Amino acid sequence: MLQDIRYALRQLRTAPVFTAVAVLTLALGIGANTAVFTLVQGILLRSLPVADPSHLYRIGDNGQCCVDGGFPEDAAQTGDFSIFSTDLYQYFKMNAAEFEQLAAVQAGQGRWSVRRGDALPKSMHGEFVSGNYFSTLGLRAYMGRMFSDADDVEGAPPAVVLSYEAWQSEYTGDPSIVGSTLYIQAKPFTVSGVAPPGFFGDRVTDTPPEFWMPISDEPYVRGASSILHHPIQHWLYPLGRVRRGTNIAALQTKLSQLLQQWAYSQPLLTANGGTSVIPKQHVVLSPGGGGIQSLQQKTGRGLKMLMILSSFVLLIACANIANLVLARATTRRAEVAIRMAMGAGRRRVIRQTVTESVLLSCIGGLAGLVVAYAGSRTILVLAFPDARHLPISANPSPAILAFAFGVSLLTGVLFGAGPAWFCAHAQPADVLRGSIRTTRDRSSFPQMALVVLQAAFTVVLLAGAILMTRTFANLENQRFGVETPNRYVLHFDPEGAGYTQGRLAGLYRQIEDRFVALPGVNAVGLALYSPLEGDNWGECVIQQGHPAPGPNAPCAATWDRVSPQFLQSIGVPIIRGRGITEQDTAATPQVAVVNQAFVKRFFPDKDPIGQHFGIDVPQYSGSFEIVGVFRDFKMNDPRDEVHPVFLRPLAQPFNGYKEDILKSMEAESMFVNAILLSFDRHPQNAEELIRQTLAGIDPNLTVMDLRPFESQVAGNFTPERLVARLTSLFAVLALILASVGLYGVMSYFVARRTGEIGIRMALGATRASVVGGVLRTVLVQTALGLAIGIPAAYYAGYLMASQLYEVKAYDPVAIFGATAVLAICAVIAGFIPARRAASIEPMQALRIE
Amino acid sequence: MATNGKLIEIEDLTKIFYTDEVETHALSGIHLTISRGEYVAMSGPSGCGKSTLLSILGLLDTPTGGRYLLNGNPVENLSFSERSRIRNQEIGFIFQSFNLIGDLTVEENVELPLTYRAGMPSAERRKRVKEALERVNMAHRMRHYPAQLSGGQQQRVAVARALAGSPSILLADEPTGNLDSKNGEAVMHLLANLHREGSTICMVTHDPRFAKHAQREVHLFDGKVVSEDELKKLTEEVEA
Repeated sequence: MLQDIRYALRQLRTAPVFTAVAVLTLALGIGANTAVFTLVQGILLRSLPVADPSHLYRIGDNGQCCVDGGFPEDAAQTGDFSIFSTDLYQYFKMNAAEFEQLAAVQAGQGRWSVRRGDALPKSMHGEFVSGNYFSTLGLRAYMGRMFSDADDVEGAPPAVVLSYEAWQSEYTGDPSIVGSTLYIQAKPFTVSGVAPPGFFGDRVTDTPPEFWMPISDEPYVRGASSILHHPIQHWLYPLGRVRRGTNIAALQTKLSQLLQQWAYSQPLLTANGGTSVIPKQHVVLSPGGGGIQSLQQKTGRGLKMLMILSSFVLLIACANIANLVLARATTRRAEVAIRMAMGAGRRRVIRQTVTESVLLSCIGGLAGLVVAYAGSRTILVLAFPDARHLPISANPSPAILAFAFGVSLLTGVLFGAGPAWFCAHAQPADVLRGSIRTTRDRSSFPQMALVVLQAAFTVVLLAGAILMTRTFANLENQRFGVETPNRYVLHFDPEGAGYTQGRLAGLYRQIEDRFVALPGVNAVGLALYSPLEGDNWGECVIQQGHPAPGPNAPCAATWDRVSPQFLQSIGVPIIRGRGITEQDTAATPQVAVVNQAFVKRFFPDKDPIGQHFGIDVPQYSGSFEIVGVFRDFKMNDPRDEVHPVFLRPLAQPFNGYKEDILKSMEAESMFVNAILLSFDRHPQNAEELIRQTLAGIDPNLTVMDLRPFESQVAGNFTPERLVARLTSLFAVLALILASVGLYGVMSYFVARRTGEIGIRMALGATRASVVGGVLRTVLVQTALGLAIGIPAAYYAGYLMASQLYEVKAYDPVAIFGATAVLAICAVIAGFIPARRAASIEPMQALRIE
Repeated sequence: MATNGKLIEIEDLTKIFYTDEVETHALSGIHLTISRGEYVAMSGPSGCGKSTLLSILGLLDTPTGGRYLLNGNPVENLSFSERSRIRNQEIGFIFQSFNLIGDLTVEENVELPLTYRAGMPSAERRKRVKEALERVNMAHRMRHYPAQLSGGQQQRVAVARALAGSPSILLADEPTGNLDSKNGEAVMHLLANLHREGSTICMVTHDPRFAKHAQREVHLFDGKVVSEDELKKLTEEVEA
């Protein structure tokens, strides 16, 4: 074997161009796959860095963020509960002894204003967790101590645990941090400890928590808008360690029964026909070793698709190398024949050839690791442009090294097997006899077959790339209904800066006055949240005089609290009635403006102006009078249809609610989080100016985020952009590899047929007919590739259907585009050797023969 | 243009090969005439320029200097496509190594030169192929591939291919060179028959036995046409 390796190395050294081309091709193929696998491994396959993750289970199986009226959105159909109130979590904890420990973690993360001492506050990501969270995960503090159950009791001294990464980056690893005070939302917390390095929380995300707080401190931080004690406000994901030997199916059934028992005990759930859907409510117990799978569920299909596409690139690379090796094998048949004449067996010849190809693929694999490292870094930046402390590394881990090695080995065997067989079946007598007798050239068939295969794969990749690019373009260029040029969105947190409700009116007035005075600003809008930022407040709308809707009745509407210039700041016109004005105050009747979709849903046959509606409870159904209708725009997910939306004036709190939850919601809605600034032209140094202006109002107001409105809208398409770019990259790579492959095969074809071309010319063939003949061969191969590739591309479109937007899975543009691009490249790749063939002098060609 | 029965007229033909700094005079001042219906053998030792001359006669190569009239028309300075056309219509080649195309059947090989003639209907092509193969007694192997034939049979197919286009002249370059004596004789008889039927043939050979089949023998030595006596003398000088 050692001798084989030495000989293989010598062979590769003697053909440096072949070796370089092969290694480069393999590096691209293996690199692309390893880069995507880095992402797959980092997101889909990794376990939490905790003790014995295999015994962790999560109650629930999806990343649902919201519930409507205490039930999941599909309560009447499937009733799959995945998010739970504090009360329900405690009920499980008390009654499911199968869990050694059952922890809870906040479903959605928050950005909080955090200040240490006299320093300016920072915006940091934090998460509420139960007191047993760290002990359930089996984690020990890097420094200080983690939480215990004693910390998670109302009235206990507020404590916070910092992540190691945040401690390093935000507090420069200052060891005195433990025991010191951090002001979170202006409330003092004592730092009890620092989590171990590498611990990124309970889920893979681009914004891992930088600190954790006990869930019992939620009212302390959120004040009047707390949801901790509301029985049907679901906000927690339970994650527990199951006792060894527990029957998971039986536990799941038991938990579903517990859920139903609990639901029957809740008057808010049994009211309005809720009793009828309770029997359908259940939970799914899902493996929790990988943590909460929100990102996995969001990106899983896209990643799997990329994995398939990148493996196509690898297959095309393999076909290329196989072609190169086949060509070399053909030229080495005489040498092999001599070896066989001297007694070498077929097995020996095959071993030698396969050794050479595996060696080559391993070198390619090593080069591929470099490509993969660079590729993964680029992909991570593209996939998570705003990431801080991203828990996915581009560095090759043992798993990635094993993957790359495995792929290299497989590749080597794949492209080495054919040529090895070809070599080993050389007839020594034939080869040594020379070319006196005319023989049929069968050696080019496998090469042609490989080119056909390459063409087929390339069509699939090209069509896929066109589909994804069109999807991305359709998403990005759709009519959002808002104007984005020359506009900025500033996110801030008045509550975190210590503002109380009584001081808000003054703050908002000051913000409007100071920002509108900036040069070029023509509108300043304030809003609880801005369009297409990913946040969404929804409530069930009840028209005046209507009864309470049952569970899952189509009553949901998005709502926002905004200042008078909000619609102007995003370029949305009022199309009926009037907009919100300065005259809409606490002293005037409660009003709302609604969008066209709202009118269509709730008042389809009436003039909406003057109509009244309320939310959630029938007794409030006359609370708000519609005074205007604005043009539809995308407020939430840009992939969805426009939802019904109503806007309420910033200066008009509703004091009529009696329920605590509605009161707290109303109170929280007064704290706006977004300032929208519209400039009449592209502003210079806008970001600096905006930051300075906010700091001039109050230096404690933390800028949570500041970006052009265009950038905020574009941020909605990061996954699609990534998939579109990677798919296009893979398609271009495939096209180049396929073209190079076709060129190589045709060059080899022409070289081998120089004699034949000479004969044809001797018999009267013109240059045009020689070019035509070669191009015909190219086109036949391409056509065969298309014949296989086009149906495959259609099928691929069908598989990709869920990833597409405003593009049919069977998109003729994609198929035609892919076909045209491939055909053009094939003709170019074939024309060069064809011209070379035609320029040869017949006499010279015959001499070669 | 009147040709006076002369098919080929060559005057003061030269061919020089340039390789790096070396000039090789392959042909020097050749004068040669071949009449219609004539059977000429060109002989001489290896490297004397026989095949080079045959390539120029067959318009596979161009002379460095001199004049070449084919059917009374000057052909030494024709374009590539014009030469292709004339090769296709006026000249039939028979090569030493047969030069059949391995991927084509016997029938397709013979049909090949006809496919380069614009406008010839396929029925006409098939008729000519059949006739050509019948003339060389190979019609029964039409569907075979060259690799399925013996060397003699392959050469007969090559002759049929040369005949199929009804050329003005058959140029044969060592047609027996790769054959055993029995098959070699058979091919020579075939050429003799074709000559009797009216074909003009110019054959290159270094074997005196086969040269005797021709009406006239042209001797070449160091790129020049010499008489038989001169050839003998020069050969003896070289051997001495």
